[in-house]
This record gives sequence, C-alpha cells and structure tokens, in this order.
Amino acid sequence: MSLLHLAIFSPFLMAIFVPFLYKGLKSIHTGWFVLALPILLFTYFIGFLPITRNNGTVEKSFDWIPSLGIHFTAYVDGLGLLFALLITGIGALVVLYSIFYLSKEKESLHNFYVYLLLFMGAMLGVVLSDNLITLYMFWELTSISSFLLIAYWYDRERSRYGALKSMLLTVFGGLSMLGGILLLSIMGDTFSIRELISQAGELNQHPLFLFALILILLGAFTKSAQFPFYIWLPDAMEAPTPVSAYLHSATMVKAGIYLVARLSPIFAFSSYWFWIVGAIGIFTMFWGSFNAVKQTDLKGILAFSTVSQLGLIMSLLGVGAAALHFDTLNDNIYIAAVIAAVFHLINHATFKGSLFMVVGIVDHETGTRDIRKLGGLLSFMPVTFTIAVIGAFSMAGLPPFNGFLSKEMFFTGMIQLVNLDLFNLETWGMLFPILAWIGSIFTFIYSMMFVFKTFSGKYQPEKLDKKPHEAPVGMLISPIILAFLVVLFGLFPNLLSYSLIQPAAAAIVPSLVGPGELLDVHISHWHGFNPELWMTIGVIAVGTLMYLTLSKWIKLYALFPGKVTLNALYDTSLYAAERGSYTLTKAYMNGFIRTYLVYIFAFFIGILGFTMWTRQALTIDTSNLAPIGVYEIVLVVIITAGIFTILFAKSRLTSIIALGAVGYTVSLFFVIFRAPDLALTQLVIETVSVALFLLCFYHLPKLNRHEERMGFKLGNLIISLGVGAVISLMAISAHSNKMFESIASFYVENTYKEAAGKNMVNVILVDFRGFDTLFEISVLAIAGLGIFGLIKLRLAKKGEEADEN
Amino acid sequence: MEILMSIVIGALFASSVYLMLSKSLLRIIIGTGLLSHGAHLLIITMGGLKRGAAPLLGEKAASYVDPLPQALILTAIVISFGVTALFLVLAYRAYQELGTDNMDEMRGNEAND
Amino acid sequence: MINLLVLPLLIPLVTAALLIFLPKSIRVQRAVSVVSAIGTLAASIVLLLTVKDNGIQTVNVGSWDAPFGITLVSDTLSALLVTTSSLITLSVILYSFRSIGEARERFYYYPIVQFLLVGVNGAFTTGDIFNLFVFFEVMLMASYVLIVIGGTKIQLRESIKYILVNVISSALFVIAVAMLYSVVGSLNMADISQRIAQIGSLPILTVIAVLFLIVFGLKGAIFPLYFWLPGSYYAPPVPVLALFGSLLTKVGVYSILRSYSLFFYHDQAFTHELLGILAIITIIVGCIGAIAYWDVKKIIIYNIIIAVGVLTFGISVATEESYMGTVFYTIHDMIVKAALFLLIGVMIKITGTNDLRKMGGLMKKYPLLGWTFLVAAFALAGIPPLSGFVGKLLIVRGGLAEGAYVGSLIVLLSSLVVLYSVIKIFMNGFWKAPKDYPGEENQPVLSLWAPGALLVLASILYGVGAEVMYPIISQATDALVHPAIYIDAVLKE
Repeated sequence: MSLLHLAIFSPFLMAIFVPFLYKGLKSIHTGWFVLALPILLFTYFIGFLPITRNNGTVEKSFDWIPSLGIHFTAYVDGLGLLFALLITGIGALVVLYSIFYLSKEKESLHNFYVYLLLFMGAMLGVVLSDNLITLYMFWELTSISSFLLIAYWYDRERSRYGALKSMLLTVFGGLSMLGGILLLSIMGDTFSIRELISQAGELNQHPLFLFALILILLGAFTKSAQFPFYIWLPDAMEAPTPVSAYLHSATMVKAGIYLVARLSPIFAFSSYWFWIVGAIGIFTMFWGSFNAVKQTDLKGILAFSTVSQLGLIMSLLGVGAAALHFDTLNDNIYIAAVIAAVFHLINHATFKGSLFMVVGIVDHETGTRDIRKLGGLLSFMPVTFTIAVIGAFSMAGLPPFNGFLSKEMFFTGMIQLVNLDLFNLETWGMLFPILAWIGSIFTFIYSMMFVFKTFSGKYQPEKLDKKPHEAPVGMLISPIILAFLVVLFGLFPNLLSYSLIQPAAAAIVPSLVGPGELLDVHISHWHGFNPELWMTIGVIAVGTLMYLTLSKWIKLYALFPGKVTLNALYDTSLYAAERGSYTLTKAYMNGFIRTYLVYIFAFFIGILGFTMWTRQALTIDTSNLAPIGVYEIVLVVIITAGIFTILFAKSRLTSIIALGAVGYTVSLFFVIFRAPDLALTQLVIETVSVALFLLCFYHLPKLNRHEERMGFKLGNLIISLGVGAVISLMAISAHSNKMFESIASFYVENTYKEAAGKNMVNVILVDFRGFDTLFEISVLAIAGLGIFGLIKLRLAKKGEEADEN
Repeated sequence: MEILMSIVIGALFASSVYLMLSKSLLRIIIGTGLLSHGAHLLIITMGGLKRGAAPLLGEKAASYVDPLPQALILTAIVISFGVTALFLVLAYRAYQELGTDNMDEMRGNEAND
Repeated sequence: MINLLVLPLLIPLVTAALLIFLPKSIRVQRAVSVVSAIGTLAASIVLLLTVKDNGIQTVNVGSWDAPFGITLVSDTLSALLVTTSSLITLSVILYSFRSIGEARERFYYYPIVQFLLVGVNGAFTTGDIFNLFVFFEVMLMASYVLIVIGGTKIQLRESIKYILVNVISSALFVIAVAMLYSVVGSLNMADISQRIAQIGSLPILTVIAVLFLIVFGLKGAIFPLYFWLPGSYYAPPVPVLALFGSLLTKVGVYSILRSYSLFFYHDQAFTHELLGILAIITIIVGCIGAIAYWDVKKIIIYNIIIAVGVLTFGISVATEESYMGTVFYTIHDMIVKAALFLLIGVMIKITGTNDLRKMGGLMKKYPLLGWTFLVAAFALAGIPPLSGFVGKLLIVRGGLAEGAYVGSLIVLLSSLVVLYSVIKIFMNGFWKAPKDYPGEENQPVLSLWAPGALLVLASILYGVGAEVMYPIISQATDALVHPAIYIDAVLKE
C-alpha cells in the first residue's frame, strides 16, 4: 500500500465519513468538506507531471488475490495521469458548483456526496490500474455509482428509468469486456496490461484475438455511449446537473475512450480495430450531432452533443491506429490523429463542463430547460451568457477557442485517410471526411441553438416559474474557470503540448516512441489555406444558413417514425422480455403436478434411452441367471394380477386390498430369494400400511373412476410403459455387467468372527452399517413429529395470507 | 430368473407411473407404494438371486446369497414406510382443508404472479 | 474421544432428540437451538482447519475397515460445505425467533431444523453411496415436515407435489445404487472409484451415471427436472425457504460434483457434455423465470435455478480452474441466497405483501435494510470485489479455456439478468415515493435484519478475502481433480 494507493482509495475513505459530517454538522454544507479532497488529489497528481513529461512512469503494487494473478497495481503514465487530473480537477469544480446548486435544507446531501466520492475513487481506479481485473472492478463501480447518481431523485419515474437503462447497458458492456479480459488472460497468461502489451505480436496471431477484440470494444462502446448503445446517455440526464457535468460528459463516459486508448498497443495493429473503432466513432459523431438538433431540452442537446463528441474522439483513435503501420516517426501523419484525440479530450472536458454548468444555472434560475420556453435571458444573466458563448463557440469549432484547434486536427486526421493505401480505404475512405464534415455542420447548428435560443430572442416570462436573474457568484466560479481554460488553451495550446498531450499520446502508441524520444506535438493556429480550413469555412457558411432556416426544415425530423428508434427498441425488448418470459413461464409452469411428472418422466425415458442407444449399453448375459421355478411363476402371475386389479379397480377398497396383495407377494418373493428377515419385515410393514391406508381413506370420498379422455390415457400409458421398459432394460444390462466380486464375502467371513452374530443381515444392520440404521430411525422420528404436527397444528383457519411468511 | 424379475420390476414401475399420472390422490399414493416395491425387488435382484443359502450362519451352507442388498432393502423399507405414512396423513389433511383429492383441483400458484 | 468429523452430525442430532423432549418452553427451545447451532458451527470450523492442516479426515464408523463399513470422509470440500451450512442454519434460527410464530415453534420446528442440518451435513460428509441415500432421506423427511408444518392450504397443496417428486427421486436413487452395486460390487465411493478406474469406460456405467444425474438433478433442480421447485419453495415461510433455497439444491449439486469427479469421469465426452448442455438450458430457463415475475419470492427462487445452472456448468467443464470456480461459487451462493431470502423476508414483513407493485419507498425509513439488500444483490450478480465474482470468473475462464465459448458467455451474461432481477426488487421496493404500511411499526425490523446482515457480512469477507480462502479452496479442488487423493485417504493405501 503506497501513497498512490491511498490517493486512489481516499475518496472511499472520505465517503465513510460523509454521513457523519452531514448528520453532525448540519449548518455547514457537506460539500465544503468534500471539496478539500479533489483539490488535494489534484495537487498531488500535478506532482507527477515532471515524471510523465519524459514518458516516465510510476508503478506501485500490492497484492489482492496473487494466487489468481490479481493485484492492485497502480500505474501512472501520461495517459493515466491526464485522466487522473481531469477526474480530480473537474471533480473539484463540480463539487464547488454543487455546493451552490444543491440546497442543504432540501436535499439528502450525504447520499449525493457518498455516491460522488464513490465514483471519483472508482474512476481513479479505472485509469490508474494496470491489472485488468482491478480495472474491471472499478469499471463496474463507476456504473453502479452512476446508477445511484442518476436515480438520486429516486421517487421520480424518469430517474429510475434512466438509472436502470444506463446500468443495464453499461453492465452488459462491462460483462462483455470481462469476457474479453478473460480471453486475453488465456492468450497471454496474465492480467497485467503492460505484460499483455509486450506480447502484442503473438496475441495478434492468436485465434481468439478477434473474439477478445470485439468483446472489449463492446465494453468501451457501451460506456462511451457509441452507436447504437448511446441511448442510455440522454436518459442519464435525469441526474442532478453537476453529475451530468462530471460523469456524463467529462469523465465516466470517457472511460471507454480510455480503454480504447489504453489497449490500442495490443489491438491497434489489427485492421478490424481500425475499421470498427474508426467507423463506429465517425458514425456516432454524425448521428449524435444530427439528433442533437431536434432536442428541445438544453440538457438533451448537450447529451447528444456529448455522444457526438465522444464519437469524434473515438474515430480519431481508430484512425490513429493506422500510425502503427509505419515504422518511423518521421512523416507519420497518422500520429496526428492520436494527438488530436488527446487534445480534443481535454478541450471537450473544458467546454462541455462549462456548458453543463450553464444549463444548471439556467435551470436553477428559471425553473426550466426547455428552449421553447426560454429566450431573451441575455439581459438577466450576462455572465452566464458570456460563458455559454465561449463554450458553445468552442464546441462549434470556431476560433480562437480550443475547440477550433482540435476540430481542425480532426479534419486533418480524416482527410489523411483518403491517402492511405491500407485496409481497402480507397473505396470507403472518402466517407470519413464526408461524415466528419456533415457532423460538424450539425454541431455548429446545435451550438448556435444552445446560445441563441436561450439568451437571445423573445423573453417569455409567462412560461417561466420564476423571475430569472443572474446566478450567485459561487455558482459562477466553476464555469468561469472552465471558460477561462477554453480561451487559454485556444490561445496558447502549446501549454499542453509537452506537459499532457505528448505523454498521453506516447502511451497510446508506445511502439513508435523509442527510449528517450518524444513525439512531435506542436499545435499551431495557422496552416495556410489548406483543405481543413476550407472545411471549417464551409461548416460555418452552411451551418449559419441552415440555422437561420431551421424552422423550415426541422419538421423533417418528424418524418422519422418514433417507433423504430433505438429507444423504442430498448423499451419494447425490455417489455417483451418481461411479458414473453411471463407468458412462457406461465405456459409450462401450469401448476399441475401431472404436467411436471410428464416432463420429468419424458426426460427420463428420452435421455436414458438415448444413452443406452448411442453407447450400446444394452447387454443380455444369460450365463449367470438363476433358474425359474414353479413358485416364482405363480408369484409373478399373482403380482401381475394384483397390478391389474389396482389399475382397473372401481372402488377404493379393492385398490387398497390389491396393493396389500402385491406387498404380500413381494414378501413371498423375499422368501424364495432366501431373505427371511426381509420377508418378515415386509409382511409386518405391509400389514401396517394397509391398515393406515384404510384408516385414512375411510374419511375420504368414494374413489370415482375418472373419465379421462382416451388420448390422455394413451399418453400416460406410453410414458408408463417407457419408464418400465427403460428400468427393465437397465436392470438386465446392469446384471449382465457384473464386473467385480462384491464385497459380500467379507460379511460372510466376518459376521461371526468379528461381530459375534449369526444373522448376517442383522449384523450388517446393527454393526457393519449401523450408521444407516441410526439415521433410518431418525427418519421415522421426523415422520412421527410431522404427522403429529400435521394433525394438531392447523393454521389454515385463521388468516391464510398473514401467516404465509 | 433375473430377467423375469427385471420385467416384473418394469411392470411395477410402469403401473406406478401410470397411477401417479392420474388425478386421484389415492391412486397416486398407491402408485408410490408400487414404486417402492419395485425398487426393493430391484435391489435384491441386483444382488443376484438364489446363489446360496439364506445369510444365516446356522445354515452351514457352502455359499450364501449376498446379504448386503438385503440389509439395504430393510433400511429402504423402513424409510419408505415412514414416507408413506406421512404422505397418507398429508392426503387426509389436504382433503380436510381443500375438500378434494383431485390433483387437478390442487393447481399451484405458479400461474399467478 | 469422539472423532471431530462426526460432531457436525452428532451435535444437531443430539440437540434434535433433546428438543423433542422439551417442547413446552419456547424459550428453552430457542436457547438450546442457538447454542447448539453455534456449537455445530464451531465444530465445523475446527474440522475445516484440521482438514486444511492435516489432510482429509476419515472415520470408519464402528471401526469396520473401508469399504466394508460406512466411512465418513471429510475432505476440504465437505468441511467447507458443512461449515457454510452450519452458519446458514444459525442465521436462519436467529431469524426464526421473530418470524416463524409460536405455533410452529411449539410443533417441533427447531428439532426438525436440526434434523435437516443432520441430513445436509451427513450428505456432505458421507463416503458411502447408500449412506448418502439415507442422509438424503433424513434431509428430505425433515424438509417434508418443514414445508407442511402449519398446515395452511397452500402448504398442504404444494407439499403433496413436493413429496411426490421426491418419492420418485428416492426410488430412482435406490435403483441407481442397486444397479451400480450390481456392476461394481461396492458401496464405498472411494472403492467404487477405484474399481471403475480398473475397467475404464463401460457403456452401462455411462447409463447409470446419467441415472444418477437424474436423481441428483431432481434434488439440485437442473433442467428439465426443476419444475417442482418454484411452486414448492413458494409455500413455506421465509426462514424455511431460506434453508431450502440455500442448502437443499446445493446438496444435489454437491452430489453431482462428487460423483462426476470421483467416479463417473470415464466417459466425459458423453456425461459431461450432457451436463453442460443441461446446465446452459437451466441458466436460460432460470433467467426467463427471474425476469417474468413481480413477486419477490419468485424472483429469488428462479435465481436459485440460475445458480444451479452456473454451478453445473462449472462441473461439466471439469478442469481444475472450473472446479475451483464451482467450489468458490457454491459457498458464495449458499450464503448470499440465504441472505437475500432473509432480507426479502423482512421486506415482506414490513409491507405485508410479496408483490413488488404494491411495495415502494422503503429506503426512507429503512436505509440500513436497503443498503444491505443492495450489497447482497450486487454480490449475487458477481460484481467485484463481492463474493460472487471470483467464482464466476474462474468458471467462465475455465469454460473459455476449454473452448466452451457459448456456455461461458451465457454464464457471463446471466449475471446481467440476475442483476436486473434483483435491482428490480431494489428499485421497486426501496425506491419510489415512501408510503405507510399497516402494522409496520410492530415489526421487529432490526432483529429480523440482523441475521441477513450477518450473512451479507460473511459474503463480503468471503469476496474481499478471496486470497485467504484460496489455499482452502485450492485444496478442495485438488481432491476433485485427483480422485487418488480421496481414495488414498479412505482406503489408507
């Protein structure tokens, strides 16, 4: 356990104290106590910068289940550190913001901060674990804390719906990912990411490689809300806005991006990786932005925007995989895609974080997030407006903000693809820049909508619950800091180049970076009139035009039938699964014991018959049979007669007497088979049984012969005969396969010598196998108690239901 | 003889299954009675029939039949007696409370939710 | 000195006998039950530690050498299961104090619980196949009485079905033993294993192995033999249900595990393949049942079936890793299932209904109960670092390593369904707007919650402390992978 571990676990430790702080110090907002932790952690992680700057790493390990190769290996490199800083940095801002957002009088703050801390710790664990199993554990914990946070207002139906949806989809992905992890561990015999990376070459040749790749990507795509799994993210917006800002835009949804980046060194050489990650990413980028435009809820716009931006980063990572196919760093243009991915990751966290906080403020101060009700807030909230403009313009990719820079780099990455002669790109490669461009147009449109529908236009006080005014200063601090960063990184991007971006990018493509080498990361604003710039100009031109004519074509969205959306698919399949299961279960679990017996006996006949047939187990050995005498034949005739009497008897009494007859015949059989003790016992027991039968059924109604349909009887008959036949055949075969001398001779020899008895059966019962007898008596005793209780204890009369449990 | 016994045992099982598939609780319990008869006869048959004298040392025979299956049957007889007794009382009580011995009228609650 | 490994059988047996003679005072009944259950637990823990340090413990009852007398064999697996069963029985007894009702307490509820424990522990400990039958009967007879005691209508109705199915399975057990005896001429399991190993695969033995699978499958509730279970388990009161759900099916699973690893391993291409297929179907039908209902008891009951499927899948893969996973998972599942039953029992007590649609909002008044339930739910779904994870991990990894891809993925994804089904209980029972339930203030929620919480705590420790358990589980697995270890211990060669 090192300080690094302590840092990862500190949020969990803090979480333990939160309820006490909440209960004990009611007058102080719990958030203030919590705030200290992310700030502390942020400064702690800043301390790693000098190490990672030169692509150095730190590793601390302690054992959890070493016998299974499961360790808590905390591993800090450029990529992990970048995420750790995002988690703690944004975390601190979000906590600060939440202090003003959540009222300490009305809300259960202890729950909120416990979940939030749980998430923070889990997320740090995800990005700083080298062991895939620990990573998986933290991964699921992020899903769980997200589930709890989305349903923070759990008495709301929509919150529960969103929580469940996000949980089902992300846990599904997590389980798939676990499958992938296990496959990797089977291939490489380790759970350590770095050890797996060092075997990447061999892993690529393994037949299970593709299988593992797909499973891992399922995990990444569900978490990072890629098409078609993104549907949980818009519904996750039911969470309090600070949560949306933190989990559902800046950090948790980037866990999938992290995973793809982290495992790129293992998988990226494969063309499948390139295609799947790249294509899903770029399509998600387009699809998210396209759908964002039709949203009317500000948070809905941001949710789809997040989906789109995550797709953008994902596609860059996919395209960046092409870099691995070049051996040298010089002229390796595809490395630019990786750098762009990292850069945009940072930028997105800053501008999207600030925008979510803006929405929170608008919601908080006006009581609605519906753009149809909003408008003209500029005069009431000038500061908020300024932040919104900075964030939204950066999101739209406009200069001089940081989003412009990374958007240009994104275009570069996509355009370069067309020139690539790998993976059949000459045919489909063009689609990448085209989708990127169209997606960017829609991004531009919804960014404009976000700002202008809210802050300009007509002020509609009649639709608002309260009179809007500027937010309190405390609530503005966090978004202002983020907006400041947007501008700062936009003007001086190279502040980040070698401190954060280079180390992170180097960790994604380690094979390209030799010892002591650094990637060339220089971000510049002006590249001349290249295609990227023209694309940006095109986006602005077409975007502006389309934004102005929005009302004309927005109706086109209505052409998409609501029933064929992915959401509807999720809802109906969940509903259908429940209804279908119910109907199905109800159909075969019909409550009739006869039906169950038919299933069981049919299986009995089928499977034993099948086994005997395929294994050719039926053997008849006539050499060791005992002779058949006259008595035996007589007894067989009697027992058969008894059976038939029972089957066809009209009255209860006849059946019972016939059963007794069968029992007595059995005891006569025992006589013939040299088992005098058995015969006696059987005689006694049979007599008592018949007496019991008679006693009990004296009280029962006349046994009426049931008029069953013949078909039914035929079915029963077939099953009965089948069971009988299987047992007869098995018995004959078992008897014909006596492979060993039985242990019986021991008893013959030792009964008198060792146990001083003459009756072997008795001696076996009381001595050799006395244990059986002891418990056989116990069985009788329990039966006695049961019978006593059955007759005496009758709870049925008084309230049936109340006593069920 | 063992083959003949196997067939008799098969017949006992077949008839008991047939009875257990009927609606009447009485028939079902009679079926379980036949079932245990079949099982017990099977044990003794599996031990090999009539391979010597009864397993009493006083017989002074050269060989004895296998005593072990007989001991097992004794245990099994007693146990199945206990079960049958409980089952009978249960049937009696069920008839008292539920007013029927028809299994079709004792449908379970699986179908409801 | 009485041999240590007899104690987990003897203590409950003597207690049961004792309790029969003091039926009048419920207080005495309770006190004796608890003291005895603690004693049994302590004895089994000592036994477990002894087995861990000194290897497999055996005792030839009446000092007749194996294979002629009855040999009790406590290897690590049986000692583990015995310990777990004793722990669960203790919790259930504690839970019963405030829930089962004086009427049932007066009518020998406690001695019969002790008898049930005798049967279960005996089945885990015996090394003789016919003696296994006898312990099955002890356990079954006790379960018949537990299911019927009280004599409510639903109990009477369902116990008829339960008894009938089990009478059939007992008869099949007897004939299976008889046939096996005919072929190999012995009843001692170690001896049987040795004898079968001499002849290797024999067609009729494969058939007999399948017959045993049917017998144990009826107990363990694998597809398509589980149909009796949902109805029958629904009938008795919650503490009895908890005992049944966590112990009885596991005895069936244990018997499959023991027989299929110790002596029926010569025709794996057939027997284990068959078991694997049945296991997967069992998981699927269990999943279908678990999402179908809004009745809390039913949801957890169907989860029993899923777990049985997962466990039998682990057995069918039959590698060291999958066996280890099976053992890990069995213990986990016994503890967590019992815990969940006890916790939903509390929910039912508070709300007075089984129907989730009528529940809601318990989180406000009973947060402790809610969080305990949630942890148990996540443990059941195999979320790390809780107890279900390691077992499932090993089962799936073992399956994948053997090329059983479909089965392994189904096991993996069944976790999602399990999670959904229990989260459904959490969301509908604990979330939603709070409401008032008539009579809830009279319920002793804290004392009802405590036994379940105890088990949840055990489950957490078991999961996080997997490394501590590892050597024990690994030892248990050794004896499964190498039957010679077991045989040598019994036959002292």
